Amino acid sequence: MIPTQFDYIAPATLDEAIQLLADNAYDAKLLAGGHSLIPAMKLRLAQPAMLIDIGRIKDLAYIREEGGQILIGAMTTHYQLESSERLKEICPLLPETAGHIGDAQVRNKGTIGGSLAHSDPAADWPATVIALNGEIVATGKNGERTIKADDFFVDMLTTALEPVEILREIRVPLVQGRAGQAYTKVPHPASGFAVVGVAVNLSLGADDVCQSASVGITGAAVKAYRARGVENALNGNRIDEALAQTASAHAADGVDLNGDLYASADYRRHLVEVYTRRAILKAFAQAK
Amino acid sequence: MSKNEKDKNEQPLKVVGKPFRKVDARAKCTGQTKFADDIALPRMLYCKILRSPEPHALIKTIDVSRALKLPGVHAIITGRDLPIPYGILPVSQDEHAICIDKVRFIGDPVAAVAAVDEDTAFDAMNLIEVEYEKLQTVTSIEEGLMVDEPRIHDYGERGNIHKLVSLEFGDMDEGFAEADLIREDILFYEGNTHLPMEQHAALAYFDTDNKLTLWSSTQTPHYVHRALTKTLEIPAAHIRVIATPNGGGFGGKSDPFNHEIIVSKLSMITGRPVKATLTREEVFYCHRGRHPVLMKVRTGVKRDGAITAMDFQSFLDGGAYGSYGVASTFYTGALQTVTYEVPRYKFRGARVFTNKPPCGPKRGHGTPQPRYALEVHLDKIAEELKLDPAEIRLNHLVKPFSVTANYLRIGSMGLGRCIEKVVEGSDWKDKFSGWDKENRKLPFGKGVGLACSSYICGAGLPIYWNNMPHSGVQLRLDRQGGVCVQCGSIDIGQGSDSVLAYIVAEVLGIDPFDIRVLTADTDLTPVDLGSYSSRVTLMTGNAALQAAERARELLTIAVAEKLSVPAENLSFAERRVFDVENPEVGLSFAEAVVLAESKFGTIGTVGSYTPPRSPGHFKGAGVGPSPAYSYSAAVAEVDVDPMTGIVTVERVWIAHDIGRSINPMLVMGQVEGSVYMGLGEALMEEMAYRANRNVVHKFPSLLEYKSPTTLEMCDVKTYLIEDADPNGPFGAKEVGQGPLLPVPPTVANAVYDAVGVRIDEVPITPEKVLYALREKSKGREGRFGPKSIPEVDWPQPLKVLTPEEGGDGREMPHVAVHS
Repeated sequence: MIPTQFDYIAPATLDEAIQLLADNAYDAKLLAGGHSLIPAMKLRLAQPAMLIDIGRIKDLAYIREEGGQILIGAMTTHYQLESSERLKEICPLLPETAGHIGDAQVRNKGTIGGSLAHSDPAADWPATVIALNGEIVATGKNGERTIKADDFFVDMLTTALEPVEILREIRVPLVQGRAGQAYTKVPHPASGFAVVGVAVNLSLGADDVCQSASVGITGAAVKAYRARGVENALNGNRIDEALAQTASAHAADGVDLNGDLYASADYRRHLVEVYTRRAILKAFAQAK
Repeated sequence: MSKNEKDKNEQPLKVVGKPFRKVDARAKCTGQTKFADDIALPRMLYCKILRSPEPHALIKTIDVSRALKLPGVHAIITGRDLPIPYGILPVSQDEHAICIDKVRFIGDPVAAVAAVDEDTAFDAMNLIEVEYEKLQTVTSIEEGLMVDEPRIHDYGERGNIHKLVSLEFGDMDEGFAEADLIREDILFYEGNTHLPMEQHAALAYFDTDNKLTLWSSTQTPHYVHRALTKTLEIPAAHIRVIATPNGGGFGGKSDPFNHEIIVSKLSMITGRPVKATLTREEVFYCHRGRHPVLMKVRTGVKRDGAITAMDFQSFLDGGAYGSYGVASTFYTGALQTVTYEVPRYKFRGARVFTNKPPCGPKRGHGTPQPRYALEVHLDKIAEELKLDPAEIRLNHLVKPFSVTANYLRIGSMGLGRCIEKVVEGSDWKDKFSGWDKENRKLPFGKGVGLACSSYICGAGLPIYWNNMPHSGVQLRLDRQGGVCVQCGSIDIGQGSDSVLAYIVAEVLGIDPFDIRVLTADTDLTPVDLGSYSSRVTLMTGNAALQAAERARELLTIAVAEKLSVPAENLSFAERRVFDVENPEVGLSFAEAVVLAESKFGTIGTVGSYTPPRSPGHFKGAGVGPSPAYSYSAAVAEVDVDPMTGIVTVERVWIAHDIGRSINPMLVMGQVEGSVYMGLGEALMEEMAYRANRNVVHKFPSLLEYKSPTTLEMCDVKTYLIEDADPNGPFGAKEVGQGPLLPVPPTVANAVYDAVGVRIDEVPITPEKVLYALREKSKGREGRFGPKSIPEVDWPQPLKVLTPEEGGDGREMPHVAVHS
């Protein structure tokens, strides 16, 4: 099918984009890589009257280090993150996650900002940004604000962004000391989206004692979430197979899990636990 | 070089058996091929079809007034405009192009619009108001058998039972009494759909001379032609159907479809060309795909695995219409006998109507389901008898050139060589752990499985009763040496156009790329019944062979006379006709045509093919007979994650008895494509509906319907077994469908070898594997699958003595019982 009719505008600056959004807040959608929005429009699930293409705005695609943080522009493509040699050294979870997204075409067009702002419950990035204790920088009429990743994902396809706000940047703290990161995923066989995706970010002391664990899980519930039960079980303890097993039993604590044709809620709970355990052990192995 | 690798004059074959490219390959690869949706005519209108959102309802009112007022709308039609029913089988004329008073599934057409563009047609469609009165829905095999009212159709056996079949060949009691072991298994095969990349499209133009032309993405232009003349009430002579190259068919474009009739009617009303291209969602609703089938198989065997008797029952969820369903029902029982010796055989089949998209033929038509059941069942028997799965099959193969208990005439039979090839190629003996799972050869979680199959090379009987050929070929030779092959067959990607060119080129000694292939146009080409039942290579191939030999005969006479060379000395090769004893004595092919045309007038020849008569003469003997049977054997190696139940197929070895490859490259492509489709069915694909009374498809979209991509596809090692069949052109048999059949049971058997659980239900999803593993760990049966079959009041079986019992292929006379 073809989308309904819509207007298309490609502003040159972020300010222009925000003004356009302000003028058309309820009829307009921002177009980034288009890999979620365009399919939805073709199915006529989304019928925006206007597309504001932010792809022509300069300086929205970058990966930088600044003030102990990694700064990622909203329009940075999955491929740019996947192929960054620097990220592979300083934050391997980002390129690893990017490599799990869709296929080469999707990764060449799709953007991290677009994915996060869409808040698809089965997208990969939300788990990783939570596990990295990231922040989202949003620009609006009255300037900028930062939102913690934990507070950013509100519900299915709903974020903390205001109607007249644009996700401009993602910030991730640089990891200090001995660290291990991993992303494990069960991809949906048709769409490649996460049936379950688990991102684990460990900071380890001597004797393999976990100083801080950060675990983000996607695909399992209406939105990506932080698995605090797992983190609490890991923190302050020596990581080994037995601990990974007992900690991962908390991976779905207090969460209502999705059930669908590929995986019932019970099976998803099982997958979340198995893949959390695998992610912990994989991250631990990376840190060694 | 064997005898078959030479032509009649003992010259080596130049074209047959060689990996030439397809004659249409460049146009396909560069995007130049015109598919149905690529065709646009001046003043063309666009059609959209309003489809029912109700699965079972009476149509109370339809109000098109608002839609008609929309600027750009040219016509709207409803069921009253097309009152005559149609259907692919003469016994199931149960469809209307647009429903008249009742809808039977979500997707049934209720009205159609023609407008200046697609957007306007879409908007107008949404302005049509329909009032429905809901009826109770019938949603499963069990309900179809139990719920008599409301009836979905007012014909069939009774209630919602469309068809019951009961056949018995030989003395079953005697057969089971001879057995050392009798085993019963119940299995289920879920329905799935064809998923051709090209969505169905049709363009009709009713011109000012009152002639209708329909271009359509169809596998069966001849049957569409018949349906159009019936439903539109215009003479067949005024209708021209042109099948456009199909972007995949797999059986999904084998029925005459409502959109083909609708665009024709709309063109007749508006006098303008009208086109409809279905959306992917509509293609899911058109369906005609794999029937969900519940099966029970009961087999008696001797200690060495020899089958003494087999009793097979199948239950088919037919969906909302008949389609090919009666044939599908017979096919679920027909081919169990053509692989291993089955001396006595009983088959009962039931097809029910339900309020779902209609099921029909998909690659393997009605036979992958029973083949899965049979091959898993045989694996379990092998385990009980402690026999190797390859040995139990090899030791009891059906004999070549024999007649089975159910009167199917077997020709060449290469299954033994197929099994030997995959056993050797896969290192089966070093991988299969045997039945003692304590001493494994592969680590726990890795396993191998084996299964075999067979398929027809064309249905022995046409869909409507007649004595005419199944395929006709007309050859025109022009005086400049050009050769045009005309045939009603349609290339659906399988390479049938190329096969025509290769065979004619071989016989006439010219280059296949010199030949113009003109196919699937009812005005220009002789009838071929269509691209279904794996019939095209064998049947059109034989017709082409006959036409080409007749042309060669004419050229031979003319050239022999001119060169004063004995006719039997003339050979055709390298675009020349020459004396085999003095090759320099000869003419160019074009010169030969000039001589022949000078002598005989315009050179045109025809060839046709009619399959041999079947030895079976009982009611129901029409499904299963074929001029030849292809054979396949496969081994799959799998990795099963015991923590999650996720199955990954790592490699498939498959051997296919092709008789003779007309083009080995195309044959390999078909084998690999079949493995790919078989893996999708084995592991992922299912037509799933919401679990409530409202039978709506869960995900009529490629974003959610799970089918393998290149990312999921494993390595495939293909072996071709060439043992020429006397009924095939140059010995060729089919390859388009057969190699799919062993794949699902091969995977199921490999999963058992890997982790010791039986998944008696396709698709083998991770959740089912995990369930069975958990059951096993609790000390219960490590199995996922159906546990019982419904009770059915079967009709008295039609009994036929087997050939071995001295039967003549006719129903046994009923013995009068005197009190």
